[in-house]
Amino acid sequence: MSNFSQMFVEEELARVEKPEKREPLGLLFWLCVGWIGLNIIGAILANFLPLIDPLYQNYNTLNAGPSLHHLFGTDDLGRDIFSRVVYGSRISLSAGAGAMLIGFGFGAPLGMLAAYRRGRFDSILTNVMYVFLAFPAIIATIAILSFWTPRSLLKIIIVIGVASIPLVYRVIRTATLNVATKDYIIAAKVQGATDRRILLRELLPNIAPIGISFLLIGVATVIALEGSLAFLGLSVLPPTPSWGNMINESRTILQQNPWLAIFPSLAMCLFLLCLNFIGDRLRHHFDVTEVKL
Amino acid sequence: MSEFDPILLAVNDLATTFQTAGGPLPAVGGVSFELKRNETIGVVGESGSGKTVLTRTIMGLQQRTNVTVTGSVLLDGHEMVGASEMDKRALWGSEVAMIFQDPMTSLNPVMRVGKQIDESLRVRVGMSKADAKARAIELLELVGIPSPAHRYDAYPGQLSGGMRQRVVIAIALACSPKLLLADEPTTGLDVTIQAQILNLLDDLKERLHMSVILVTHDLGVVATRTSRIIVMYAGRIVEIGSTREVFSAHRMPYTRALLESSPKVSNDPHTRLVTIPGRPPNLLKLTQGCSFAPRCSYATDRCHQERPELQPADEPGHAFACWNPLPKTRKRTVKTT
Repeated sequence: MSNFSQMFVEEELARVEKPEKREPLGLLFWLCVGWIGLNIIGAILANFLPLIDPLYQNYNTLNAGPSLHHLFGTDDLGRDIFSRVVYGSRISLSAGAGAMLIGFGFGAPLGMLAAYRRGRFDSILTNVMYVFLAFPAIIATIAILSFWTPRSLLKIIIVIGVASIPLVYRVIRTATLNVATKDYIIAAKVQGATDRRILLRELLPNIAPIGISFLLIGVATVIALEGSLAFLGLSVLPPTPSWGNMINESRTILQQNPWLAIFPSLAMCLFLLCLNFIGDRLRHHFDVTEVKL
Repeated sequence: MSEFDPILLAVNDLATTFQTAGGPLPAVGGVSFELKRNETIGVVGESGSGKTVLTRTIMGLQQRTNVTVTGSVLLDGHEMVGASEMDKRALWGSEVAMIFQDPMTSLNPVMRVGKQIDESLRVRVGMSKADAKARAIELLELVGIPSPAHRYDAYPGQLSGGMRQRVVIAIALACSPKLLLADEPTTGLDVTIQAQILNLLDDLKERLHMSVILVTHDLGVVATRTSRIIVMYAGRIVEIGSTREVFSAHRMPYTRALLESSPKVSNDPHTRLVTIPGRPPNLLKLTQGCSFAPRCSYATDRCHQERPELQPADEPGHAFACWNPLPKTRKRTVKTT
């Protein structure tokens, strides 16, 4: 190579050396992550924490306001609201995580495969999914849960999870379609990569950012949905606490004891807000994978 | 086929037709040519003349539906037309590799460039992790990337366009292919980098004893780097011959129009660029006659009614498809940059 062109290479090299700077995720992001983490730890370790039994009814303190002994006060049966909020997060969190596990477990591989394979497989599957999407999920969920008795957390997870499959399918399929037509996928193919390798090593990492942020927002949506179901009395049976259940119970005594409505609502609201914020922030953060010159 | 067969690639009456809503679209038709070992052939033509479809068909890369391919592509004794995905996968990388037009989209943005070279070495050649890495760094050095060991861990986004195209070439070379298809390898790059990349390809071709099909719409690119040139129009070969013959003794009016439309340094400043009047034909509505006839000043009634087949010119290997060819005596002096 001539000196002249060597000069250009060096010039290029200088450009290369510049470290790539990404916008930091920010304090608020980490606060949200911390809050979510705290909730998860609380839900897992609830049995080992020094909490009052969430089912213990103390008739000496009915509808009490927040105090040192009862941080969030007590409900109309004298049960500790703080303890019930912590235990209630178990139901909400496992509903969110479980349903999304089902939704992504089926929806994501199907979506990727359909977008990669195209053809008849894709068109049949996509149309079937769109038929399901056209049906209002909440109505279907309510209908199924009303008849599928006795109700249990597992059944709720299954019903919401299955209902979320078409949604996940659609998002993942679209994301994959975007990537699957890129030259580097064809390049990998003509270097002799197998379909499995292309799906797992080339496509998956490229759609992961979209998948993760959709997963977080999906969990938030399911938790809200479980709350709505509980409010309608279609979630886990009392006296098991869940955030939605507690809000439902507070409905009749809202005037005597607003705390029973405020604290579980606040817990749910904060949790969902954090999840949404994290999802949104991550999507922004990873959006720079596409190269600009 | 033996290693000593001088012909590496034999394309015979190749046709690729897309089934579209508007009817069959013959993107490539009746293409036949041969490519010797260690030879570079240039394929030129306007946008939409079927150059890319031709390379993809040779490669055996088609969509799974709505495409019919007929004819034969014999690559080192292996028939590519109608071969199963598995058979083709065995040839991809080691027999034939491809360089893409745009280095911005032909590298995976979330994988380190070294890993992208590694992949095929480990999967195809079955090298160990350490060996593959050593070989990948060697390849990066081969394609002229400074401090390759350092660059091995870079993401594509950290490299400039020229560097990225070098990486793309390194990936293509990983399994030492015998045939390299370069589909407009420099279109996405600026001029100085273009020259570097083309010189690199030339150099590598000599060193690694590859054959190269260089697809381009830039005649300056093929002028000095190919031994033969194929001129395509509307999916067909309209002229084929040695580079010297095609430049100086072309017979097909389209070739002349193409040559005339490339700007020359010797022109006065502010000279209007020469263009070919009209537009490439709609492949869905091809007529019986020569597809260039509507834009050709030499066209006669016969041109509109009957399609000319390739006919040999004086020099062996030079052929053109035209009823009213340019006179053969004239020594044409069309210079390119």
